[in-house]
Amino acid sequence: MIGKERLFAKLEKVLAQSKADEADVVYIGTESGLTRYANSAIHQNVFENNSKIYFRSVLGKKTGVASTNSLVPADLKRTLDNSYDIARNQPENPHFPGLARPAKYRDLDTFDERTAAFSPRDRARVVKKIIAVADRKKFTLAGAFATQCGEVAVLNTKGVRAYQPVAAASINMIAMSATSSGYAAGLSRHVDDIDFENLAQVAVGKCDRSQNPRGIEPGEYEVILEPAAVGSLLEWMNYIGLGSKAFQEKSSFLAGKIGKKIVSDLITLYDDALETHSIAFPFDFEGVPKKKVMFIDKGVAKGVVYDRITAFKEKTRSTGHALTPDSSGEGGIGFNLVMAPGKTKRDAMIAKVKRGILVTRFHYINGYIDTPNAVMTGMTRDGTFLIEKGEIKGGIKNLRFTDSMLRAFVSAVAVSRETELIQSWWDAVGCLKVPTVHLGSFRFTGKTEF
Amino acid sequence: MKDKLKECIKWLQSKGVEYADCRYVGRDRENIRVTDGTVDTLARDLDVGVGIRVLADGAWGFAATAAVTPAELKKTAAKAIQIAKASAMTLRERVKLAELEPYVDQYASTWRKDPFTVSIDDKLALLMKVDARLRQSPKIKKAESGMAFLRTTKLFVSTEGAEIEQDIVESGAGFNVIAFDGKEVQRRSYPNSFGGDFASLGYEFVEEMNLLDHTDRVREEAIQLLSAAACPDTTTTIIIGAPQMALQVHESCGHPTELDRVLGTEISLAGGSFMTIDKLGKLKYGSDIVNITADATCSGGLGTFGYDDEGVKAQRAPLIEKGLFVGYLTSRETAPVIGKRSNGAMRADGWNRIPLIRMTNINLEPGVWKLTDLIADTKDGIFFDLNKSWSIDDKRLNFQFGGECAWEIKNGKLGRIFKNPLYTGITPEFWNSCDAICDKDHWHIWGVPNCGKGEPMQTAHVAHGASPARFRNVKVGVSK
Repeated sequence: MIGKERLFAKLEKVLAQSKADEADVVYIGTESGLTRYANSAIHQNVFENNSKIYFRSVLGKKTGVASTNSLVPADLKRTLDNSYDIARNQPENPHFPGLARPAKYRDLDTFDERTAAFSPRDRARVVKKIIAVADRKKFTLAGAFATQCGEVAVLNTKGVRAYQPVAAASINMIAMSATSSGYAAGLSRHVDDIDFENLAQVAVGKCDRSQNPRGIEPGEYEVILEPAAVGSLLEWMNYIGLGSKAFQEKSSFLAGKIGKKIVSDLITLYDDALETHSIAFPFDFEGVPKKKVMFIDKGVAKGVVYDRITAFKEKTRSTGHALTPDSSGEGGIGFNLVMAPGKTKRDAMIAKVKRGILVTRFHYINGYIDTPNAVMTGMTRDGTFLIEKGEIKGGIKNLRFTDSMLRAFVSAVAVSRETELIQSWWDAVGCLKVPTVHLGSFRFTGKTEF
Repeated sequence: MKDKLKECIKWLQSKGVEYADCRYVGRDRENIRVTDGTVDTLARDLDVGVGIRVLADGAWGFAATAAVTPAELKKTAAKAIQIAKASAMTLRERVKLAELEPYVDQYASTWRKDPFTVSIDDKLALLMKVDARLRQSPKIKKAESGMAFLRTTKLFVSTEGAEIEQDIVESGAGFNVIAFDGKEVQRRSYPNSFGGDFASLGYEFVEEMNLLDHTDRVREEAIQLLSAAACPDTTTTIIIGAPQMALQVHESCGHPTELDRVLGTEISLAGGSFMTIDKLGKLKYGSDIVNITADATCSGGLGTFGYDDEGVKAQRAPLIEKGLFVGYLTSRETAPVIGKRSNGAMRADGWNRIPLIRMTNINLEPGVWKLTDLIADTKDGIFFDLNKSWSIDDKRLNFQFGGECAWEIKNGKLGRIFKNPLYTGITPEFWNSCDAICDKDHWHIWGVPNCGKGEPMQTAHVAHGASPARFRNVKVGVSK
């Protein structure tokens, strides 16, 4: 960790040497440790101290981006100059609106000393404890436990000065028997808020209840999708349809449908990076403050998230969802998806299912099949159960689904009042906050042998 | 740098570690993308650092730093020892490494035209021409073309005396269009989907793609797909084009033969494998004509190198011989489990990642057919071209692939075009239904620069030699 004042001083010194009309710099620094365990022993244990510094030079409507991971002043200057040379040698981008102006950011507490100081030995102690939980049932345990801290800063020649220190802890685990497996995961900025042993009990419990699974035929079933399963579907929906690029190129399932009812009115989906009980973060990588953006409100399509370039194209304003400068062609993307909780208690949802399937988690989802209809495929894994007459009847062998998420979410029967944080592709600057969802119809199209 | 690493190794030896290696990796990247006539990405990245792997108290520790000063390297080495000792707190079995001759050597990939010396103007001029041709129809909603170049310099030094320097250049390019008619959205690409094709070669590889020769066909096929019939739901014969065959090999043979997956160490994220050790030498994985080889020595593949990231020399190793499952991709730690020495598949995604077992060039060896003869020999079927979606279960048995488009085969001729085609199957059943593979004239090594594995995530650059192949009784069109 360098600290706000020192980091600003270092980066300002380089920016001051820019020959461009405008320039900005994005700094992402990380100190991250990750302990992997499998067969009930640690087998990989790593630490990384790294940073990435992106410079963007602007000459009129020409932009060039260069990046480095070296904080040596001469390397930083060389990278800034590279970005200038790249900008000089390319045609104008008519959609480039210039760099962001200074703004005020929400004061968010995103750092945790305990998480930042959590040592490899601390992580090993946790892993030892959760392995002991699995040992008691003679199951093995596998997973990964990460603790990290870092700093993000965005500065530009127009006066933007954004800085945020971050910390995050995450763990995932699979308990395994000879015939079954069970999954659990936890995420928080505060490592002490994760109840590791309780998570291990959940994984072990799922593994235990799903032993000796029976095969069932694919087809249309009622499903209870637990938060990890819902989160992975939403993450793909975000990627193919909730960002401005997909929306503008018409491949998004929201394109042409704004204001129309597209799913059940039980479904409300939005991005809220300022939600303090989540992995909150106040600004994007252009230095624009994050705004809450509604994607789907009570089943009605509402909009997508923007960065400055795609917002300029549509004559609207950035919502604060830009990626790093090297990915400026990707448009805005959701970092903090939230599916609004419903009114039903999670335990009561299963009782309403006549004959259906409880899915703990999906594996290897792919959402490129037919993006305007949000058609996806994927496999169940690590705890798939048959429900009959409101009761879990035991584990079943894993199934492949292929379905339109619009069709599936039209059939929503209930959404739980409880939500969980789910780790996303965005690590310490974003996550998903999702409930359990009961769908009336979900199409399983294939089966496997375990 | 070599002196700094050797000093660090000396210090680690003085601390009594059982084994250690230090890897310096420098990567210089250039990415260019043109979208609808504007340059939306033009970025250069330089990334350097050192990763230190230590075996102490029978367990692994790894620490990495971007600051490559002697003081920081010593601090990082001390951290790696501390981490190894923490790992040992849950030790069940001490790590044992297969024997290895410590090489002192240098390796450089071959290229004719250094891509970093070709001007950005020249690269942009080509992409702009491609872009303009692709957009010669109001039905084209978006055109995207790009190039990517990477130069990796590596230095590997170990406590066993290895000193290996490597210098590898990669180049790639491709384009795609999205057609839209108010209702339907369809995409076509060249030479492959998801960014194009990539190789450990110079700019000549991009020139030889002849990008401009394919723009008209790709644009028109995308438009044609807007009014195409949906792929029927049926069980039929399929012929899979070479780029999709490459991905089929990747998912259903490359990943399940990674021995670390088989031994359970990737189970929580990527999953395990149905190709367990008890099946080695016994499982009839495919039909007699199916031969799949891991070959890190073939020219120009993204999985071609001199030495892996444990200092093991690049090798050619059979995985499937005449349909029989005969080998794994291995490391120094895993190979002894099957009584072997490493076949050199440990690769790390840069200095800040620990090496894992990764694919090299996993090649479906060519057969004897000409594609025209193979189509002529097929009474009813479907020809699949270029990948659109992919998914496979966590033991690599049940897979489903989507194509950008497909053509009906009727009485030995290509007919109607189908949109959104899918095929699905169970890996050994599928490969045992393979009854024809095209010959070396149709064979090409396809670069896959986005193979994900591990936590923290590592993206490997791998490749697959493949030619079109025919499979019988395959379930297709399961999207509705």
